[in-house]
Amino acid sequence: MSSVPALTVLACLAAAALLADRTITVAAITVLLLVVCLRAPRRRRWPYLVGTLVSALFLFLLSPLLGSYGGVVLWDGPSVPVLGRLDVTDEELRIALFQALRLAAVGLAFAAYALLLDHDRLLQAAGKLRHSVLAVALATRLVPSLERDAAGLVEALRGRSVVVEGLRGRARLLSPLLAGSLERSLNLAESMEARGFGRPGRTRVPQPRWTGLERAAVLCGLLLVLGAVLWL
Amino acid sequence: MALARVRELTYRYPGADRPALGSVSLDLYPGEVVCLLGPSGGGKSTLLRALAGLVPHFHGGVLSGSVEVAGIDTRRTRPAELAGTVASVFQDPEDQVVLTGVEAEIAFGLENVGTPPSQIEPRVATALDMAGVRHLSARRTQELSAGELQRVCIAAALALGPELLLLDEPTSQLDPDGAKGILDVACFGRAVVVSEQRPTLALERCGRVVFLEGGRLLLDAPRGEAIEWLGEHRPAYLPEMRLGADDQDAGSGEPLVRLEHVFYAYGTRHAVGPASLTLRRGEVVALVGPNGSGKTTLAKLAAGLLEPAGGAARLNGRAAYLSQDPGRYLVCERVDEEVALGVGGDLERAGRALELVDLAGYDSRHPRDLSSGERERLGLAAVLVTDPDVLILDEPTRGVDPERKALLARLLRANADRRATLVVTHDPVFAADVADRSVSLGAAREPAHV
Repeated sequence: MSSVPALTVLACLAAAALLADRTITVAAITVLLLVVCLRAPRRRRWPYLVGTLVSALFLFLLSPLLGSYGGVVLWDGPSVPVLGRLDVTDEELRIALFQALRLAAVGLAFAAYALLLDHDRLLQAAGKLRHSVLAVALATRLVPSLERDAAGLVEALRGRSVVVEGLRGRARLLSPLLAGSLERSLNLAESMEARGFGRPGRTRVPQPRWTGLERAAVLCGLLLVLGAVLWL
Repeated sequence: MALARVRELTYRYPGADRPALGSVSLDLYPGEVVCLLGPSGGGKSTLLRALAGLVPHFHGGVLSGSVEVAGIDTRRTRPAELAGTVASVFQDPEDQVVLTGVEAEIAFGLENVGTPPSQIEPRVATALDMAGVRHLSARRTQELSAGELQRVCIAAALALGPELLLLDEPTSQLDPDGAKGILDVACFGRAVVVSEQRPTLALERCGRVVFLEGGRLLLDAPRGEAIEWLGEHRPAYLPEMRLGADDQDAGSGEPLVRLEHVFYAYGTRHAVGPASLTLRRGEVVALVGPNGSGKTTLAKLAAGLLEPAGGAARLNGRAAYLSQDPGRYLVCERVDEEVALGVGGDLERAGRALELVDLAGYDSRHPRDLSSGERERLGLAAVLVTDPDVLILDEPTRGVDPERKALLARLLRANADRRATLVVTHDPVFAADVADRSVSLGAAREPAHV
């Protein structure tokens, strides 16, 4: 599937996950998106999957402690200053699971966008949104760029007999990574300016027509959003 | 009539204590090829940026004098408006790639300057052919080697069909044959200003030479006259290759690295091998070969940074590896601390290493405040300080001017007896200058036996 219809379908799935009221619906969308993300190469997909799933897990574990609703208390904990009494009810658990699945679905939709879509095609199709789409595409590349830079940095240090170990050692790399990233972004901006970016009268590479399958997929996505609003 | 006119151009970067360019005047004519020479920090890149309008629009600073290109005053026109008339290729290809696909990257500039849609794809295809990268058209830019990326950047500039092409060290990552081919294509049918630190090829193709030092124009002369001047005043820019390098392991020193039929792949992409290589104490070996042939991978295997997927790799002693573009990989807040990192914070040893690379007195500076050439030398000091048995340098002369290259060669030769040294390089003059022998890797995907 080409990038624009694929992005539309992903956006529909994320929207349906946010609009649906039933946990089972959101869970089904989450599983579907997880399966899609697993098509990406293992080395590239792990930061996105770990980031999304860990965030969802934290939401599931922490939000029941902070909420104060529901009748059946499953666990009654101590009272903590500012936060108040810590307890877990069946209602809090159910809502925490629902919200965690929503977060996971949106995160996985973004992961699928970042990992599987051709951002160049999206940019070429963007029309008047070109500046915004390019900004998002460049921001999306930040994670893999930083990952590559970090690997290069660790290797360069190993070449100087310096071994980067532990959380503290890795944390020390954050500042140089950020500085390198800023330097690169300045050079990139200069290159874009020299290549006419932002000049009026832009044209674009002719875009391929959507196939029947792509039209059908987009229609299904839109129907899913409608269904999420009305029935799911 | 001149295509570009520079008059009394003086420019100072924001916060700089001296001008990067001082009273520079020159004319560029349609179709002429000008070779821009001079030491690192001499103002070459700044002059190219001024011709592209990036100075002062992008960088700020204080500019006096004037620059006109195709009748357009660059002070009053945004660089984006000059794109198409002028095209630039900057020093670091890694930092100028905007998109993820090769074809889209080349089309990016064409779209920006309003090329009719029906012409974009044919012009992309022509540019790919001109730069010899048609086979890379479907590849992702992140997967390309530095040399391949450099060709893609040149293709993107050629696609614009500019009247004035500005090339800032366009062959620094290319093998000699690739560099010849790309300069032949680039220097045909348009005005070209090419700044080079490997000047031999550019000197062969230019009609005129401009020499900048300390921001001042020392020479602006036709090629023949310029070569005489260089021979008299800057002989390092007219190198003569020393003959005698060969690819036989004939040394008698203790073998410190033995690679036997090693091969390596990044995922499913074959990178190198099977290849064999022996490095002995006391010898300096140049590792040469075309772009994408796996030189860097073989060097990393020799340094023990990669485990071979097959074959045997044996390393006796401690290895140090200087990566390509080491200026990117600086982690400390002070120059001396950066160097001392590899020796447990020993600032005394760091000071001695800094002296070796002519950076004495830079101790308290922030590494990222140094120029790119100075950062290269800082990276070198950071590996030399560890006093390794095996020293491996990956493209150590990228962006280094000929006089500094000669100094580097002398430094490596002076300490050659203490260690085995492997230098990965595309610079045949430097290779001949520094190495006892050279080993050559075959083209990509061919088994290499060296």
